[in-house]
Amino acid sequence: MSVERFTYDNKFTKLFMYATILWGFVGMLVGLTAAFDLIFPVLNAGIPWLTFSHIRPLHTNAVIFAFVGNGIFTAVYYATPRLLKTPMYSKTLGAIHFWGWQLIIVAAALTLPLGLTQSKEYAELIWPIDVAVVIIWVIFGINFFMTIVQRRMKHMYVAIWFWIATWITVAVLYIVNNLQLPTSLLHSYPIYAGVQDALVQWWYGHNAVAFFLTTPYLGVMYYFVPKAANRPIYSYKLSIIHFWALIFIYIWAGPHHLLYSALPDWVQALGVVFSIMLIAPSWGGMINGLLTLRGAWDKVRKDPVLKMFVVGVTAYGMSTFEGPMLALKSVNALSHFTDWTIAHVHIGTLGWNGMLTFGMVYWLVPRLFSTKLFSRSLANVHFWLATLGMLFFAIPLYFAGITQSLMWKQFTDAGYLAYPNFLETVTQILPMYAMRAFGGSLYFTGVILFVINIWKTVAAGKFVRYEEDQAPAREIDTHGAKENLQWGWHRKLEGKAVKFSVFAFIAILIGGAVEMIPMFMIKSNVPTIAAVKPYTPLELQGRDIYVSEGCYLCHSQMIRPFRSETERYGEYTKAGEGVYDFPFQYGSKRTGPDLAREGVQSLPNYKPDSWHYNHMLDPQKMNAESIMPPYPWLITRNIDIASTPAKIRAMIKLGVPYPKNYADKAVGDLKVQAHKIAENLRQSGIKVDDNKEIIALIAYLQRLGTDIYKDK
Amino acid sequence: MDKEKNHLQKDEEYEIDTLTNDRLIKGHDYDGIRELDNDLPPWWKWLFYITIAFAIIYSIRLFVFKAPDLIQNDEYQKEMASFNASNAVAKAGKTFEVKLLTDKASLAKGSEIWHKICAACHMADGGGLVGPNMTDKYWIHGNTPRDLYNVVTNGVIAKGMLSYKDQLSDKARMDVVSYILVKLQGTKPAHPKAPQGKKYE
Ligand code: HEC
Ligand code: HEC
Repeated sequence: MSVERFTYDNKFTKLFMYATILWGFVGMLVGLTAAFDLIFPVLNAGIPWLTFSHIRPLHTNAVIFAFVGNGIFTAVYYATPRLLKTPMYSKTLGAIHFWGWQLIIVAAALTLPLGLTQSKEYAELIWPIDVAVVIIWVIFGINFFMTIVQRRMKHMYVAIWFWIATWITVAVLYIVNNLQLPTSLLHSYPIYAGVQDALVQWWYGHNAVAFFLTTPYLGVMYYFVPKAANRPIYSYKLSIIHFWALIFIYIWAGPHHLLYSALPDWVQALGVVFSIMLIAPSWGGMINGLLTLRGAWDKVRKDPVLKMFVVGVTAYGMSTFEGPMLALKSVNALSHFTDWTIAHVHIGTLGWNGMLTFGMVYWLVPRLFSTKLFSRSLANVHFWLATLGMLFFAIPLYFAGITQSLMWKQFTDAGYLAYPNFLETVTQILPMYAMRAFGGSLYFTGVILFVINIWKTVAAGKFVRYEEDQAPAREIDTHGAKENLQWGWHRKLEGKAVKFSVFAFIAILIGGAVEMIPMFMIKSNVPTIAAVKPYTPLELQGRDIYVSEGCYLCHSQMIRPFRSETERYGEYTKAGEGVYDFPFQYGSKRTGPDLAREGVQSLPNYKPDSWHYNHMLDPQKMNAESIMPPYPWLITRNIDIASTPAKIRAMIKLGVPYPKNYADKAVGDLKVQAHKIAENLRQSGIKVDDNKEIIALIAYLQRLGTDIYKDK
Repeated sequence: MDKEKNHLQKDEEYEIDTLTNDRLIKGHDYDGIRELDNDLPPWWKWLFYITIAFAIIYSIRLFVFKAPDLIQNDEYQKEMASFNASNAVAKAGKTFEVKLLTDKASLAKGSEIWHKICAACHMADGGGLVGPNMTDKYWIHGNTPRDLYNVVTNGVIAKGMLSYKDQLSDKARMDVVSYILVKLQGTKPAHPKAPQGKKYE
């Protein structure tokens, strides 16, 4: 058979790697700022884009899609050609992919801090950017799959399987969760509301973790761990089993983000059982990674790259055990809405994604620049800073989460809440927040050393743009050849890219379909409540302000069915209450109290309009120890009244029963209601105009949760 | 276990990895990455089986037997019922007397509640902001311990004063009322709110 020669082009690997480093630095710096914002809320200095609720989505999107995203592409552009023995399909597509992705990141960084957001976690980007993401993802897909088509290797290696599954699933998730109805260039409403929106969002959110942070990085692990250790993969069989089990099971687990919520019991149960069944498939990946190092442990002790891989893969094992535990209802009753969740994700991201990325880059740079790493000992210091930083980050937050949750649930002997003032449970854990910021600072210091080390290495070396390789042409399989091992059928499948992709596609569709289709088709899953009425135009505008300001990042709107919650917040939240909530605002973290029934006058949390006014202007004036940031711009900014008719029309299209032609009357109604609230405020001595954002926000807050209390 | 049967077929399918003595699968070589033919670790297989069994049992309990501990509304009703039962026992036979308290412990407790809960609207020094000034001699609803106690118990919902009967015990409400009358009355707050209501001497 004739041997063919070809060249790999390292250009895009290098560019994606630079982008990984740059955005990793930026994303983590933003995260650190958020951590400090939480300890010193006035750090925002009255500036919206420095406020916790504006930069938190920036942080999550930056580290997920910019840092890890570029990390994925670095690995794919380096490893795919080498694993398939053919250059990447197209340099033009590579360039569009690279620059398009970076532009998307810049667009995200400009829009999110300004409050242009959909408020769905990790899917905050507004619709024009969503469109761009889909286009660039398709470009990436063409480049990737065409490379597979042109391969010289007969079979695809397990890393490629994981990247195929990644590409397919992310496409499905992203499109389905981002279906939305634009009302303007910068604003839209999702087509789902309330509990249905919540299910779609967390099917997406959970699987963003699964298919953006996990499966592509398993691909990274499967390529770079054996390469760096120069050892064979521990078990081919394990690769097969854990790959299929993982992608099939993962997709079902989303509802574990909604345990003890308005989601029907049966969907919650599916979330529980599939989460538990995820332990073994996840650990399959961990075992296959760690046991690949058998026979190389002496190397691990010395080599910072391998050390990082070991800690990374171990962190993966830890968080994939913890995750299923958090999905047990009894644990979740305690952990949900607390900092426990934050600790959990950071073991995964700082440990698994961070360490694997650092290890990969430390391994790649000397090869791409044909030199030695500038300083091995600096890399070792980085390793220790990262490891310790991760622990100092997570351990205090475990304490914080458990402490706060127990305080929320504590009753006195006489049967009253022991800590009726929510703020008390916050001040209790502030020292832990400070520790977390310290841990984050350690980790970030490590990143600074990393940047210096890479910088120096690059400066000392010379970029190897092209690498030669050779391989025989692919033998086209006419019939089944001699794949007669026990797993021969799978071996055949590895040689059939299209069939393989179709099977993967089917595997990842099933779970979502079984959970979502009945939620939309069967009425009893969202029982109607007659008292629940659409928002008034002013309340709708107020709600959009609430969404835009990111209040949901600190306030839940989901009262869980526990006595400790119903005593504190009122009747637990029902599915039928959310039918006009585009998007849902359940939230995922309670840094402040739940607001689902903030407007109900007979409940202990009710506050008059003037209180809200003063509180939004200066929360520390109302409670010196509050860590809620001030929002003074709400007092000066005008409501975007002109957008009202378009918003009402969109709502009507989405099935909200406003009267016919209500869009024309909406502005009038809005003004009447605004005048009433402003007049009320003026009577208590506050100088305010009718058309300020604060008026709309107050209207919304005072509406919250009231519908089902009307006849009580 | 018959290991040979599981792999197989001819020995020429394999090479031996010298460091571990495990078998490398021939022909599996991707950019230099080889693969071993190791079996799934038994403990891992068992872990997987056990979680699957858990899932099946859990599902049967919910979908077939409608187990009340898996249906959240049932769980909630049970929690409430058990509290109400024990609470009724605890409350039975106890009467509460509304009367100004001047002992140190009660006033200390009252002060704590004031700062934690009431200060948000009445300010820590009682000067008032959203709610009225508590240091002056003007009262909207009267100045006797009973008057104050009634306000704190039932609230003045329409005006923004909350009802604390479900949040604070009888005694705790009396503590904070006593704190107002004994400690706050007559003090000089930093930013007193203008008087509201009638003057009481
Ligand atoms: C950094 C987290 C954080 C953010 C962001 C935040 N809050 Fe808060 N919020 C808190 C905390 C903590 C409290 C409790 C202390 C207090 O009353 O200030 C609170 C209290 C409140 C309360 C009083 C609730 C009650 O029943 O006592 C309201 C209303 C409120 N926030 C509304 C908002 C709105 C509206 C936004 C968005 C514009 C927002 N918050 C953003 C943390 C936050
Ligand atoms: C959410 C704001 C708010 C909170 C919190 C609050 N109050 Fe009030 N309070 C008010 C308002 C407003 C009024 C005036 C009611 C009226 O105009 O009839 C008031 C009135 C009162 C009065 C009657 C004053 C008078 O002139 O007759 C008393 C006594 C009182 N509050 C005690 C308390 C105590 C004790 C607490 C804490 C347990 C508390 N308040 C917490 C807002 C609040």
